Amino acid sequence: MGRRNRPGASKGGGLRPFYMVIAVVAVVGLAALAYAVARGGGAVLEPIQVEGLDDPRTLVTKAEGVAVGDPSAPAKLLVFNDFQCPACANFATQVTPFLKAELVDAGKLHLVYHDFPLVRVHPHAFIAARAARCAGEQGKYWEYYSMLFGQQMQWSSRPRAPLSDFEDYAAGVGLDREAFGACLRSDRYADVVTANMQLGEQLGVDGTPALILNGRRVREWRGYADLKRLIEGEAGG
Amino acid sequence: MSSAVMDAGPAKTGGVAAPLTRMGIAVLSLAGLFIAAYLLLHRLGIVGTLECGADGGCSVVQSSRWAVFLGIPVPAWGVGGYGLLFGTALAAVQPGLAGDRRIAAALLGLSAFAFAFSLYLTALEAFVIHAWCRWCLASAAIATTIFFLSLPEIRRLRRG
Repeated sequence: MGRRNRPGASKGGGLRPFYMVIAVVAVVGLAALAYAVARGGGAVLEPIQVEGLDDPRTLVTKAEGVAVGDPSAPAKLLVFNDFQCPACANFATQVTPFLKAELVDAGKLHLVYHDFPLVRVHPHAFIAARAARCAGEQGKYWEYYSMLFGQQMQWSSRPRAPLSDFEDYAAGVGLDREAFGACLRSDRYADVVTANMQLGEQLGVDGTPALILNGRRVREWRGYADLKRLIEGEAGG
Repeated sequence: MSSAVMDAGPAKTGGVAAPLTRMGIAVLSLAGLFIAAYLLLHRLGIVGTLECGADGGCSVVQSSRWAVFLGIPVPAWGVGGYGLLFGTALAAVQPGLAGDRRIAAALLGLSAFAFAFSLYLTALEAFVIHAWCRWCLASAAIATTIFFLSLPEIRRLRRG
């Protein structure tokens, strides 16, 4: 069929340079997206490089903790936590609920949790910390915190990052699984958790759970009753 | 002078002119579509890490509660908006539709909405989130340029 028989041929001829530009933009855009998907797909499992953390103010701003209680309470307890650490699981089940019920709710304690995943010995601790932050995005940090520690034996033994387990747990505590999964399988909160780790290092944290009560490291304590006594001492009874 | 050639440098298409401004809108909206798609893929967890420079502002903005508008992730609005703009601009450069008032109205309306939405998002970054996402800024620059390129559509509407 000859060109003259195609009605659009002569009219569209002037648009050819325009279509060429469109084609170039489309090819470049699609190639860039394909590259990004091939290179960067999946969850961030390890600490990342975060610029500016050498500045103490930036570090403190970025290393946001998860807090409960009245910020003006007389005692402030920082807890540096690793979700894959068995001692932290004990703390979560045997101490945290009582701290909240007896001291936080009474206005005596401002409790702030910071992430301190011991990534050299706990390969899933970083992604677990991110998972909890993702749950916090939907307002269920503490429910997910309890779930992660309750199921610690299960997910911590996985040879690979337990992303599906974490998504199951999210559904189990009533989170929007899809939104949670999107958060988990990205780099979201990788900077916050990394900054938390750096803050812990600056404060001399070398193991977990590490406790800092009103600016002083608490090393000698044996169980909840002992810790409660120390906190009430700071709170003036 | 026909309304289709009000702005400078029309491309001749067999006697009917396709305004360069509309071509510009098509090219820019396609670029904006890819930026929005990139941010959406990140939001969906398909792209793990955003290329955002050292300050990590994209992560802060994307994680904020402002990253969702009316229950839909903001990048999805971008994909939809730029997709509509691209399709409309492609139609607008076709010789048979150069003088169509509906096309002019659609281009003007969509670009004004995109511009206003970008202003809102940029203001949130500046005054509420206190972090800058470079991709969002690039998208805002594109939406602003598209809006100015769409202004000749007002004259086309008046003369239509």
